[in-house]
Amino acid sequence: MAVKKEKPKADLKNNKVEKRQKVTDSGVIGIHSQLGEITRDADEALRLNNRIWEGIETEVRTIDQVLGGVNEMTSLLRDSEGQADSIATSTEEHSSSINEMAASIEQVTASMVSLTTSINETASSINETSASIQGVASNAQEMATSAAQVTTSMNEIAGSIKHVSNETDSLVTSINETASTIEEMARSIQSVAGNAEDLAAAAEQTSSSMNEMAASIEEVSATTENLSSLVEQISSSIEQTARSVQGVAANAEKISESASSSAAASNQLDRSIHSVASLSRTADEISRRLAREAEENGSKIEKSIQGLFKIRDSMRQTSEVIKDMGRRSSDIGSIVDTINLIAERTNLLSLNASIEAARAGEAGRGFAVVAEEIRNLAERSAKATSDIANIIKAFQEVAQEAVATTNEGMKAAEEGSTLSEEAGKGLKKILLGIEETAQLVSQISSATNEQLQAGQNLVNESNMTASQAKQIASATLEQSKAVQNMVQISSQMRKIAQQVSQAMNEQTRASRDIIKAAQNTSNLASQVKRATKEQATGAGQITQAVESMRKATATTSKAISEQAVAGEQVSRESLRLARLIEGMSKAMAEQATAANQITVAVENMRKQADQTTKAMSEQSRAIKDISSATDNIAKQIKIIAATNKKQAGLGSKITELIVNIRAIAERNGEAIKDSRKIMTNIFEKAKTMGIIMERM
Amino acid sequence: MPEETREKENYILFKLMGTTYGIKSNDVQQMEMIEHITPVPNAPAFVEGLVFLRGQVIPAINLRLRFGFERVDYDIKTRLIVVQKGTRRVGLIVDNAREFVAIPKDVITPPPEAISGLSGEYLEGVATLGDRLVLILNIEEVLNFAEAVKPYIQENN
Repeated sequence: MAVKKEKPKADLKNNKVEKRQKVTDSGVIGIHSQLGEITRDADEALRLNNRIWEGIETEVRTIDQVLGGVNEMTSLLRDSEGQADSIATSTEEHSSSINEMAASIEQVTASMVSLTTSINETASSINETSASIQGVASNAQEMATSAAQVTTSMNEIAGSIKHVSNETDSLVTSINETASTIEEMARSIQSVAGNAEDLAAAAEQTSSSMNEMAASIEEVSATTENLSSLVEQISSSIEQTARSVQGVAANAEKISESASSSAAASNQLDRSIHSVASLSRTADEISRRLAREAEENGSKIEKSIQGLFKIRDSMRQTSEVIKDMGRRSSDIGSIVDTINLIAERTNLLSLNASIEAARAGEAGRGFAVVAEEIRNLAERSAKATSDIANIIKAFQEVAQEAVATTNEGMKAAEEGSTLSEEAGKGLKKILLGIEETAQLVSQISSATNEQLQAGQNLVNESNMTASQAKQIASATLEQSKAVQNMVQISSQMRKIAQQVSQAMNEQTRASRDIIKAAQNTSNLASQVKRATKEQATGAGQITQAVESMRKATATTSKAISEQAVAGEQVSRESLRLARLIEGMSKAMAEQATAANQITVAVENMRKQADQTTKAMSEQSRAIKDISSATDNIAKQIKIIAATNKKQAGLGSKITELIVNIRAIAERNGEAIKDSRKIMTNIFEKAKTMGIIMERM
Repeated sequence: MPEETREKENYILFKLMGTTYGIKSNDVQQMEMIEHITPVPNAPAFVEGLVFLRGQVIPAINLRLRFGFERVDYDIKTRLIVVQKGTRRVGLIVDNAREFVAIPKDVITPPPEAISGLSGEYLEGVATLGDRLVLILNIEEVLNFAEAVKPYIQENN
């Protein structure tokens, strides 16, 4: 009776407890679903985070690559400014430098290969991570199903408790046990309440963490946008550089052509110098011979001048002699005239004598004979004198002619001697001229010999220059290829940056969702808190009711045993849950290891990147050598120097930009790390909450 | 005919314009070289002037001008032949005179009819001496011909 009497009371109380239990149940279920949501959101956030991390890694790598490329290019360009100064260094230097470069490039290639394997490792680690995360997800689902099973078990328990309550009257003995159980439950509920408070606090903490994270994500998003614009700038700068490098390549092509033509021209020059040398040798010989002959001729002319002087003198003497003779012949003529006159007079006298003798008649006969004789003699002497006169006349004419002729001869001799003197003077001048000529020709000959050597040098140097110009042209082509690659890389970078900013946007959205979920959780937690408080009060009431229930509970021992079975089931389920959670924690540990591996792999990657950078610097050093070799040409071509200067400016600008980007990326990395830490915290909290839930 | 038996006469041979003339030695008083001739005013052209010889003043006649030939300068061979016919004494200036020859009378022929007349009056005949022709001058005619100067000569005489 007592049991029956107390039954409605207990029933009433039981109903109240049940009601409250229902509220608690629904709260728990809500929290469960919220937790699941949070876990999923966190999962997504983590995935996004990982993606962002990867993106940033890639970005950092790309930036390093770009920076290396830009450094290389800047140094290349700076070097190529000085390259033009000493192109004349030997081809061996070139080849050894190129070998060095090739070796370093091979090193780089090897490094890149190991980098690729590291990246592959990273990828597999990431795959593992994702697999373990999937395992976690499936574990969580299993946990959910277990939780559902727990719920059904609890329903079974509730059903059995209903059955117990229906049979309270006959189960008085079991009431005490039930009461104690309920007390226990009340205590548990109180602890649940404490846990719920903890949960609420944790949820609030989570919420604040989420807010923090959201802020950090916003920050990251903003910096990412900054980064994006910087990347745009870099891309355009690199494109500009590419264009200018292509211009340089065209110029280098032209230089190569002009160097080839100059080599051909210097060959021609060498040939012409050869012919000039042989010509000047011949001229030297000829002028020497000429000088000898001129000297000989000079002495001959001197002799002939002397001879002419002698001739002139003897002519003068001859002329004097002839003139003297002429004078004497005229003396003779006057004598002859006198003789002639005497003869005439004798003739006249003899005639007069003959006349006188004839007048004397016979007496004058003898006298007439004498007169005749005298006349005859006079006739003969007159004839002789006339002959002499004729001879002298002829002689005088001849002498006159001779005098005239000798005068002319003398004049001619004088003219000849003056002419010969002039000729001698002229010859002396000619001799001097020839000597000078000979000297000049020998100077020319020696100069042409020097020229010959210089021409040979020129040919060698110009050939070297031509080959080096070709090398430069090909190197510039390679540069232009490298710049093209850089352009591609920068476009990839641009894409990555866009993806990162997209991912950031998604993350922002996800974090907002998380915040919403966390707020919901928080609300639910406070609801739970309220419900558990109510439960606690209900439990107090139950404790009071328990006293009256005690007796009725005795009859419920059988049901209790059922309950025990059910409890066993629950405990089994709990064990299973524990195992699952263990598995989950294991998976988490694996995740942690995988994350560590990722870190190691990333470290490796970093190291590889460093090695790459080192190798690249070696390469740049090697290229520096090359550039010092190609310096000369750069000097010759101001256009290239100017463009290079511009490029160097661009390169340093790009470097600055990239350094900025890198700092930003590092900052992003830091922020991502922070957000990751926060995410891990959230995860931890979620886990704690799950444990708490389990305890409940 | 033997040389000694032939009748001869002495002649002085002189030359004028390349032609040899003969003049009788008996008519010649003396022969001189031309030294100084004093011109006389208002005398005929062929009268050269007066010469002073052996204390006598003799008129000198240029025979070239007298015969109508052209004048030539005097030289060492120019001769003044002083001829005398009666009381008249005249100097004849000739180109040359250096021979005294005895010409047989039989080699002298009268001048040919063709040249007789005016110029025939001066010539007595033409003698051939070997291959030479000698015109024998009629001195009287020559002197007659000098009638124009006769009063002058007479005055002097």
